Amino acid sequence: MIDNKSLGSRVRLSVIYLLVIILGLLCLMPLINIVAISFSGSAAVTANRVGLVPVDFTLMAYERILEDGQFWRSFAISVARVLIALIINLLLVIPMAYAMTRTKDEFRFRDIYMNLLIFAMLFNGGMIPTYIVVKNLHLLNTIWALILPGAVPIFSVILMMNFFRGLPAALEEAAYIDGASPLQVLLKVVVPCSKPSIATIALFSIVGSWNDFFGGLIYIQKVEKYPIMTYIQSLSINLQELVNGAANSSTLQNVSELSNRNLNAAKIVVAVIPLLMIYPFLQRYLIGGMVMGAVKE
Amino acid sequence: MRKKILRSVLSTGLACSVAFSLVACGGAATDTDSQSVSDPEEREKVSITLGRQTTANPKFPEGDNYEDNAYIRMAEEELNIDITDAFEAESGDDYNRQVSLALSAGEIPDMMKVASKDEVRELYENDLIMDLTKYYDEYASDYVKELYDSFEGRALENVTFDGMMMAIPATASDPGTSMCWIRQDWVDGLGLEVDGDGDRCLTVDEVREIAKAFMTGNPENAENPVGMAFDISLTSQGSDGTNSINAIAYSVGAYPRHWYTDESGQLIYGSTTEQMKEALSIVRGLFEEGIVDEQLGTRTWDDITSLLTNGQTGVVFGSWHIADWLLNNVYTLNNNAVFTPYAVVSSEGKVNCTHSNSTGEFVVVSKKCKHPELAIMILNLFYDDMVNSDELLEKYPEVNDYLNTGVDGTARPFNIEVKSNTYLLDEYSKLKAALNGTGTKEDIPTAEEKSNYDAITAYNNGTGDVTGWCKIHSRTKGVDLLSYLTDKGLYNWVTPIYPETTNTMETNWANLQTLEEESFIKIVTGAVDIDEGFDTFVKDWKAQGGDTIASEITEQVTNN
Amino acid sequence: MRKKYYHFFVIPGMLFLLVFNYIPMLGLIMAFQDFVPAKGLTGSEFVGLQHFVYMFNLPDIGRVIRNTIVISLGKIIIGMLLAIAFAILLNEIRQKFLKSSIQTIVYLPHFLSWVVLAAVAVNLFNLNGLVNSILTGFGLERINFLGDNNVFRKFIIGTDVWKEFGYNSVVYLAAITGIDAGLHEAAAIDGAGWWRRILHVTLPGMLPIIMLMTAMNLTTILSAGFDQIYNLYSPMVYESGDVLDTYVYRIGLVGRQYSFGTAVGLLRSVIGMALMVSANKLTHSLTGQRIY
Repeated sequence: MIDNKSLGSRVRLSVIYLLVIILGLLCLMPLINIVAISFSGSAAVTANRVGLVPVDFTLMAYERILEDGQFWRSFAISVARVLIALIINLLLVIPMAYAMTRTKDEFRFRDIYMNLLIFAMLFNGGMIPTYIVVKNLHLLNTIWALILPGAVPIFSVILMMNFFRGLPAALEEAAYIDGASPLQVLLKVVVPCSKPSIATIALFSIVGSWNDFFGGLIYIQKVEKYPIMTYIQSLSINLQELVNGAANSSTLQNVSELSNRNLNAAKIVVAVIPLLMIYPFLQRYLIGGMVMGAVKE
Repeated sequence: MRKKILRSVLSTGLACSVAFSLVACGGAATDTDSQSVSDPEEREKVSITLGRQTTANPKFPEGDNYEDNAYIRMAEEELNIDITDAFEAESGDDYNRQVSLALSAGEIPDMMKVASKDEVRELYENDLIMDLTKYYDEYASDYVKELYDSFEGRALENVTFDGMMMAIPATASDPGTSMCWIRQDWVDGLGLEVDGDGDRCLTVDEVREIAKAFMTGNPENAENPVGMAFDISLTSQGSDGTNSINAIAYSVGAYPRHWYTDESGQLIYGSTTEQMKEALSIVRGLFEEGIVDEQLGTRTWDDITSLLTNGQTGVVFGSWHIADWLLNNVYTLNNNAVFTPYAVVSSEGKVNCTHSNSTGEFVVVSKKCKHPELAIMILNLFYDDMVNSDELLEKYPEVNDYLNTGVDGTARPFNIEVKSNTYLLDEYSKLKAALNGTGTKEDIPTAEEKSNYDAITAYNNGTGDVTGWCKIHSRTKGVDLLSYLTDKGLYNWVTPIYPETTNTMETNWANLQTLEEESFIKIVTGAVDIDEGFDTFVKDWKAQGGDTIASEITEQVTNN
Repeated sequence: MRKKYYHFFVIPGMLFLLVFNYIPMLGLIMAFQDFVPAKGLTGSEFVGLQHFVYMFNLPDIGRVIRNTIVISLGKIIIGMLLAIAFAILLNEIRQKFLKSSIQTIVYLPHFLSWVVLAAVAVNLFNLNGLVNSILTGFGLERINFLGDNNVFRKFIIGTDVWKEFGYNSVVYLAAITGIDAGLHEAAAIDGAGWWRRILHVTLPGMLPIIMLMTAMNLTTILSAGFDQIYNLYSPMVYESGDVLDTYVYRIGLVGRQYSFGTAVGLLRSVIGMALMVSANKLTHSLTGQRIY
């Protein structure tokens, strides 16, 4: 700022602009490529002629998605999962985090609960025992198997607890003096003051639920009940491997239809759209929240 | 204070263990009723659960799915059962994971498919699967027994552990030789002579001359004519390998990717033999002459298909059925295209070929299954009745529709094939008879072959439909050649050993395969000297686990 | 009265943790058993530490641990350096619109699932993908990013750095803006050029946050990124790309060696927890903050 009139600083500034723009483009280009592929003819895609602009522009891939029942079933499952998980997470996390802000005098078991939380965050029994529990609760192949094992995101509890601690204590005290119960204080005083931080953990929940594919791999045993990311994951097939092991010609016909890269690209693009729709909020709350969490004094 | 904490910890712990024992025991089987009554008419409806292997594109009509489709409805109706899927997953990792998860909870579905003999063995050793011997003897239909017997014992031997039949084996009949498909319309147009003696067999030299003539003649004025092209992996595990050099290798007695024993009983891996070196030197010669194009090593299946469709090449190696799914692309773009397949022969005039692995897939029945005989009844229903009984298909027209519209075979309760070793040729002989008038369409046993008949007659009546063109090529040319080779006794069969995956294979096989593919490409493209390159490959292959695997397989063979 | 009330705030969530976190922990017993599914946890035979002994005699485990640590360290070091550098560069950009556009773009990959990004990466980097056809176009050899053991680790580190550097730069950018502008001015008056001000003012000002982030990142050294590697690896690159989490998944689940898989997983959890606890102590003594 101070000496930016000199030639040297101008050159430096140009180099900086250039570097930053290159880094930005590097982030964007692979994503543009997949969008371009989704709008291109399959011959051009197979021949690797698609870079950043669609070649032989066509909407065929998107038309085929519209008719693809499985894709939309999975999409709907993921939407439902995101909404239900969001409600459950908020209902469990907010009161819990509030109770964790109490001192030992106010809430004698606070430290025990806190240690149980931390331990559960750091340690787990592994995939198979959790699977057996989910199975014996008869949750397999239901949306609940995707939601309930992650009903309490402990990281969010801790984040929320820290947010609540930052609120001015005087507000609550006034309410308690007026004879309000903790629930009333939480609902009437604490929650209204914490909208941005609640938005933050809500967005964590949404992004996490939408992007998760592994829960679907383990707990969902029927393709038609896959959530969207598990479905997308199942599309990636090894063509050559399938062909070498394939026994009959009808399987091979299926394979040649599946190797349709522009169709898969279109599915990927559509599967990302919900996240792009909430991206402005993500940028405002998650990134803002991260800064708050990390650099607070 | 402290006491209270202790107490609360204890009670929490107690709650945990109670809860866990509750959930853990929930799955244990309760032995309830009944001596099983096996006649479907006389007993109550039975529920069975299945482990199902699926495919990403099963082509169900709207509304149907894996649990509720024409095949399942037929089985439920005919056998008075109720089928639910314990899990559905695509073959490979996904399916194995589901099997493993089910197994971890100590509960496998009543019936499920497993994809390797290793797994059958493990399930047997864990005492989780049922001995099917007596059910097979009692319930399997004569026809089904004949099918298995056509493999001369190889099929059932594979599932016999300590004298007990522990699984229903799938069968895989021999796909026969990898054929050399040649553009007949080009041959005619250029006035070439192919196969002057009319024995439907060519030597490698003859193939070379044709490819050369196609390049110079360039009948479709393509920009870059190519004599012939091969996929980057060069060789294939299947004897009929498409876009592979299998035909050339087999003709000099090399059997790449196969294990077999020589006269002295020594175990041999076909890719490491002197014959393999000879095969590679032949292909290297073709490459040096420019007949195999210089992009060998980067060509993929898609590329080779476009070489064919662009009219750049008119010679391609492949299975009898490539007309159905690969050459069809050529016809779609160019209605003049006609192919003729030839077998590639050895210097003795024989066609060397390997038997396929007769059983690679299995259906096992849980030890807890109440009605194991149902597994055999399903087997009869789908692999005998559905094939042989016209009444059944009349009763279930939707099943007939499935067969005609090509709904994927994974829709059936068991996704396995059980056919006789010679089914391809048997069915074809009926089709051929119907086509040339010595038989009728009604004599054709299977619905698939009947629809082939319809497609071919329609094409011959001038519709020009691509399906007809495909079936003419795959059946009346491809399978016809296979049946010709069999009838004339031109085959020289080799029976390879198909080992179970050994410990070292598990970790090293993928890398050994890569080593093999890369070394072969280098040798063929002249990047390394042939003798030195091949010797280095054999040495590296042995050192990187090949020798260990060979001894593991030898041990396996002697133990069985 | 109020004191009891708080139990009701905590108990619903705790019940879920009990069922889905604490009860499954009992399953860790199988690490000390020869677990046979048909016999269950109560019926399987105890074998003591046999699986742990076996683990350390297995050549695989050394390879897997080496891969895990090399890949994690690569991601942490290169990722932090690029994020810090990017934050410093971005801070120089004065044009508001350009700055916020660039931020919008570079933060985006962080929010996308590896399922999606792996598909994008495979599309671009496979042997017949766009990147390789560009390479051959320049007359260069093709690179088998997904199948060559000499390249795969770099590929994994590179794609992860690509995905996360933007988002990681957020904290550093905040730290830079938090530095007292007066320090810069004083340094400038003393005749310090841009470079010297970066070295003597900006970087020292960022040091606490850099240390905090280093400590936090090091706790994740045993998780080299399951989602990413699972979606990108294949048997060809087990040698260089197989990490603890994928190994436990493959051996313990797909390979059905339940007890052995659990033993490896247990060891991984214990070390991970020890790292976390010590990092927490360390950051507390360094910065007065706790991670949790």
